[in-house]
Amino acid sequence: MPPLIEAHGLTKKFRQAVKEPGLAGALKHFFVRQYRDKLAVDHIDLAIEPGESVAYLGPNGAGKSTTIKMLTGILVPSSGSLIVNGLVPYEKRQRNARNIGVVFGQRTQLWWDIPVVESFNLARDMYEIPADRYKKNLGEFTEMLGLAEFMNVPAAKISLGQRMRADLCMALLHDPRILYLDEPTIGLDIAVKDSIRKFVRARVEEYGTTVMLTTHDLGDIEDICRRIVIIDNGKIIHDGDLATLKDTYARDRVIHFQLARPAESMAAICQKLPACEVASDGLRLSVRFDRFEHAAGEIAGAVMPLVEVIDFRIDEPEVEDLIRRVYLGQLSLAPGDEPELRSAKPAVVAEA
Amino acid sequence: MSGLRKYVSFARTSLEITFVYRAGFVLNMIGTIFYVVAMFYLWQTVFLGNPGSLGGFTWPEMKAYILVSFLLSSLLTWYDEWVMSQDIREGYVAVDLARPFDFQASRFARAMGPIIFEATSAVGVAAVVALVFGGAALPADPGRAALFVVSCALATIIKFGLVYCVSMTAFWTTSIEGIMVGRSAIQNIFSGALIPLVFFPDWLQSVAAVLPFQAMISTPALVYLGKLDAQSTAVAIGVQVVWAVGLLFLGRLAFRQAVKVVTIHGG
Ligand SMILES: Nc1ncnc2c1ncn2[C@@H]1O[C@H](COP(=O)(O)OP(=O)(O)O)[C@@H](O)[C@H]1O
Ligand SMILES: [Mg+2]
Repeated sequence: MPPLIEAHGLTKKFRQAVKEPGLAGALKHFFVRQYRDKLAVDHIDLAIEPGESVAYLGPNGAGKSTTIKMLTGILVPSSGSLIVNGLVPYEKRQRNARNIGVVFGQRTQLWWDIPVVESFNLARDMYEIPADRYKKNLGEFTEMLGLAEFMNVPAAKISLGQRMRADLCMALLHDPRILYLDEPTIGLDIAVKDSIRKFVRARVEEYGTTVMLTTHDLGDIEDICRRIVIIDNGKIIHDGDLATLKDTYARDRVIHFQLARPAESMAAICQKLPACEVASDGLRLSVRFDRFEHAAGEIAGAVMPLVEVIDFRIDEPEVEDLIRRVYLGQLSLAPGDEPELRSAKPAVVAEA
Repeated sequence: MSGLRKYVSFARTSLEITFVYRAGFVLNMIGTIFYVVAMFYLWQTVFLGNPGSLGGFTWPEMKAYILVSFLLSSLLTWYDEWVMSQDIREGYVAVDLARPFDFQASRFARAMGPIIFEATSAVGVAAVVALVFGGAALPADPGRAALFVVSCALATIIKFGLVYCVSMTAFWTTSIEGIMVGRSAIQNIFSGALIPLVFFPDWLQSVAAVLPFQAMISTPALVYLGKLDAQSTAVAIGVQVVWAVGLLFLGRLAFRQAVKVVTIHGG
């Protein structure tokens, strides 16, 4: 079976007006228009199988939204081929639209002036959703997303978090095979983010909905996505599953022990764990280890006899850190490369 | 046809929004009423100086002309144009394009939704104004009245077609307000909304004849008053059909081109 979404050499070139600053620049632009081409999406190849949940990441201006707009049929690619669910989206825009649900974090699909529920009713007619299915879905979504309290309020009068939940509901009422989410949690508080993530995950798990998600929020990724595609400057610089990314580039784990008394024999511990980095600070002791060389239990087994441990926890590497390193070019992600991450200093927080 | 249902839904929703903005609607209406009354006094003065008929119009016919012009100006207000061009400029078209409906048909439905409401209020106002000013000419017979309704329907489609085409320019330019004002000024002159076209000098009449605007007000008004013989009526309505189809088609072409060539603005 061919992939659900398949792109080859997909490219979008924008023509951007070049304006020199100031009045003179504006005047000049009025008479002589100058443009330059911007490759927003630069020959990307992408294959997404039914049921996959893909995080599509990259810094601002990387080309994420432009890609989504081509996949949804909103934008016509400049070159390359694209097939979604057997259709070329921009040629069969309406038919493609029936198979997909789209949420743009920055743009609501709700009608501003009328109660939220009426936007849903409009979606029912638009997608020709059978009455019983509509009723069932609306009931379920209302419950899961907590829509009841603002169902009869015009979209102009609800909060951002309420709006996003309503938008998500509207995007899924017709049970689309594919759900595109473009920064769905932007500007939301934790509780709302949480309910949105739970909801999307349930769709993926129970209905096998294929999800493509762009976000700057790494919580979204860990909760929803198995696979990560990273785009930078219009080019895909990483495509692989989240677990592999973690395995390959984030093999380090740290066990933190809380001690009853300060450790007496640091040397003994170090000696027992030669491949590990041991640090202690008063009643705290931490051991950094490669999880492919040691199991966490081994480490604990080595440490416990030498000190009195009250409590301990294991730190996983943060996806955020990983991706930041990819952005910063500290990681080379070409296949076959040896991971170099362990020697890398923790990255400075960069604007992602 | 089940495919029609979503457009009916669009129309209904749009009517509902008119009610939400009823204050705006009422104010707009009051504005036009003042305008109509002013026109009445103006022409009354003119006719007092020229009893009988002027340019082939009697005073009762002139009153009817002004009221028909008022009625047609009350349908499809500037609001549709403004909303549509804003949606394009702000990038909301992106949302529309990701959903299963025809863009032009949906905008047509949205424009048509409030029309019954606009028409009934305008006819009501026209009737009251006519009574206050001692009556106006009525269509000579039911056949003529029917032709008038057909001509009004076509005039409205032409108006939509034009408004749609003008809105499309929002894909290319950010100075849409200027274009809207320009359209409305040209339309006021060449549609016959301000003065019947017969009062124009010959050369201006020939210009008006080749533009779509005369089909928006002058034609229905002349059909109403029976100023055209059977053959001219057929031709005038034929011309309306051509403009309606032509402008709708041109709008589709512009939209297709816009989506292909121009990029959708924003996030
Ligand atoms: N309509 C447009 N016209 C011109 N340039 C655009 C347009 N939309 C996006 N771009 C440019 O294309 C690049 C990618 O934009 P986008 O896909 O929105 O990035 P992202 O969603 O990853 O932040 C940016 O450099 C942006 O300036
Ligand atoms: Mg974006």
